[in-house]
Amino acid sequence: MAPNVGSTPSENWETQVRKGWLDLVILASLWKEKLYGLDIIRRLEAHSDLLLSEGTIYPILGRLKRDGLIDSEWVESDAGHPRKYYWLTPSGRRRAAAMARYTKTFFARIDSLIEPVLAKEER
Amino acid sequence: MSHPEEVQQKIDAYLMQLRRSLGELPPDEVSEILKEIRGHILERAEASGELTEERLVAILKALGSPEQIAPLYQADALVARARSSLSPRVVMRGIHRWSTLSAWGFVLFVLGVVGYATGAALALTGLLKIFAPSQVGAWVGPHAFFEIGVINDPTAHDVLGWWLVPLGLVGGPALILATTRVLRWTLRFARIRRPTTA
Repeated sequence: MAPNVGSTPSENWETQVRKGWLDLVILASLWKEKLYGLDIIRRLEAHSDLLLSEGTIYPILGRLKRDGLIDSEWVESDAGHPRKYYWLTPSGRRRAAAMARYTKTFFARIDSLIEPVLAKEER
Repeated sequence: MSHPEEVQQKIDAYLMQLRRSLGELPPDEVSEILKEIRGHILERAEASGELTEERLVAILKALGSPEQIAPLYQADALVARARSSLSPRVVMRGIHRWSTLSAWGFVLFVLGVVGYATGAALALTGLLKIFAPSQVGAWVGPHAFFEIGVINDPTAHDVLGWWLVPLGLVGGPALILATTRVLRWTLRFARIRRPTTA
């Protein structure tokens, strides 16, 4: 049997939640400019703790590309090795916008629901 | 930028292991992946100034082991290919990959095995009927409720007769095709573990 990479009983809910947000934050990080893998990783590092191991980002980029949401191109760099740059396709832009809007509304609604829990904890 | 030999060896060993773990993917995809991961390691290494073995171990650890990363590529790539393929082999590989990830995948894997096996058996029976009409049939009798195939029971009689030939030769492949269609359709939902970003 292949190694388990998905949800397992031992994998906690936090891991699951983090994984779920990766698509959105990756698309969002490409909103303004072309970036290569490590660029995206650095951005995620700076703004969130979503990334568990850095290597997981590359398969996700591959899948987003297969789904037509992003495109990529190898660019020679001064670093001595080429970098693979990614950018949003028009359909990726639409998806990122829709996901961002959905997230915003979603959290606004959830916020009011979890309010009592947080209020109680603070007390 | 050149690195101490043992450090270079460690990078090569990591990439070799990743290549091995990616085995099932097409070679051009594999080399593309290795090129990208290699770039990642080298760039992280350069950013860290002098690259010691210790530093490299930390970089590789942050990246994740080849055994951790490779299945992520395979799950996605195999499922993606299966989704657009008519070949039972490719479809079943995608389903099999999925079946290692979720209970639904496993149910579909079993369904696939049953569907394809039944389809193949039906087609084979239809074909065999042509060559051994008296032994192959759809039998009904005291000891056989409705058995399609070869039977060693003189009390049973063949209810379909020659109809078994067109039925098997058309029905078998049709069932195989239907199985492929159903499995491919279900593969569209193979990313059920990303509910928050659907």
